[in-house]
Amino acid sequence: MTEAIAIKDLSRYYNNFLALDNLYLKVKRNEDVALVGPNGAGKTTALKILCGLLRPSSGTAYINGVNVIEERERALSEVGAIVETPEFYPFLTPNETLSYLGRLRGMDGHELKSRINEVLKLVKLDEWADIRIEKFSRGMKQRLALAQAMLHDPPILILDEPTLGLDPRGMVEMREVLKKARKEKTVFFASHLLAEVTKVCDKVALIDHGRLLVYDSIARLKRKYRTSLEGVYLKLTEEAI
Amino acid sequence: MNAEFEKLKIVSKYELLKQFRRKRFYGALVITIFAQILMIALYKGLDLPRQMGIPDKPELFAIFITSMGTIAILGAVFFAGDAIASEFEHKTGYLLFVNPVKRITLVVGKYIACFIATAVILILAYMISAVALLGFYRQIPSGILGSLAIALMLACCVLSMAFVYSSLLKGSMGATIATLLTFMLIIPIIQAGLSYAGYEPWFMPEYAGDAVASTYGISLQQAFGGMFGGGPMGRMARMMRTPDPTLSFLVLSGYAVILFQLSIWMAKRREML
Repeated sequence: MTEAIAIKDLSRYYNNFLALDNLYLKVKRNEDVALVGPNGAGKTTALKILCGLLRPSSGTAYINGVNVIEERERALSEVGAIVETPEFYPFLTPNETLSYLGRLRGMDGHELKSRINEVLKLVKLDEWADIRIEKFSRGMKQRLALAQAMLHDPPILILDEPTLGLDPRGMVEMREVLKKARKEKTVFFASHLLAEVTKVCDKVALIDHGRLLVYDSIARLKRKYRTSLEGVYLKLTEEAI
Repeated sequence: MNAEFEKLKIVSKYELLKQFRRKRFYGALVITIFAQILMIALYKGLDLPRQMGIPDKPELFAIFITSMGTIAILGAVFFAGDAIASEFEHKTGYLLFVNPVKRITLVVGKYIACFIATAVILILAYMISAVALLGFYRQIPSGILGSLAIALMLACCVLSMAFVYSSLLKGSMGATIATLLTFMLIIPIIQAGLSYAGYEPWFMPEYAGDAVASTYGISLQQAFGGMFGGGPMGRMARMMRTPDPTLSFLVLSGYAVILFQLSIWMAKRREML
């Protein structure tokens, strides 16, 4: 079976700084995997390469068996993504923004309209559908980012710190959305909020200094190291220093 | 191919919507209308033909009020300076570039939108000129169409240059200033140097852009020669050459195409760091 996401020996340099060091990771279909690690571990770099925003120095990545580096557009058609903290065009409304992005993904007419209403309701922005985004708070933009990622109902979600900027209620709601999504989608998300990770994912990939330290289910890691996920994280990242 | 063309139409449409929602578009409209009215008022109010000692005729009036080179440059720079750079600077690229759309489609779509926005400004300026010509002389010289065509091609040339800077530089402001400096300082300095050395700078975009005023059958030397009296400015005006409209159009097209290709190549290579 083709993996939903396959990262094969990915390395990426920023000038002389090695951000990713031969990262190798596979995510099966319908798995939910959190990519965790300290700041600067290489999480966002890995996600950016997966989303075709960066080129690797070496190695490659596949989405549903399609090489992201060689066939970027075809690979991305299967993906909904939030990378870093995306900004929106301030002069457009959520309706217009989602209409723009939906059309770029081949959606149109009634299907697009009803799907926009659906995702805006899902992220609780339906009352703001026709207000220009320049008036939106950080948290509202993050909700809209999730709406655009879910718009075309992609089989794979790639999310970078999806709860960033959300208030506690927003975090709970985002978690609920992700829990619902994980039943039928592959969710691969980067975070350093371990409490959040345990509530949403079954598996974690811990990276530091661009290298994969461990990749296993949370339950197995807890059993193996006889401690919480936080304990595992502290132990392994300390060893890596 | 067909799907990509559909995407191009979508990108152009929404980029144009963005342009029309911005205050700078309406600012450019107001400045254009004001500049046109001012030019007409100056020509008529100061009775320029009499001061220059040449007979007044619609072609001369058209030369003065349809010298849209500056409007084309400013309009294009205003709309295009941030076209690509802002996607990186304001992080909207994280939203746009993760879609299954080729980078070339995005750049071409943006270019079309910027061109339409600039063209709206230019066409409005020419329409004001045409109305004034009809009002004062009851005729519109046919050269006005050639002048508009060259002004639009000059706008394309400036847009392409702005896209190059916008693909290259980190910030929108830097790209805007760099384009302005290139067209209003660097190129004119090179052009002036060539003119003083006795070469006709037909291959310089600024000189080719001056052809917006040379489609009416009056040489620029005739039109502007008597304007500045006998001082150094007067001597300079009398040295003025009249660019050939067809050659100038081709030169501007060449710059527009080559610079635009360069901007596409650079935009394709640029990463969201």
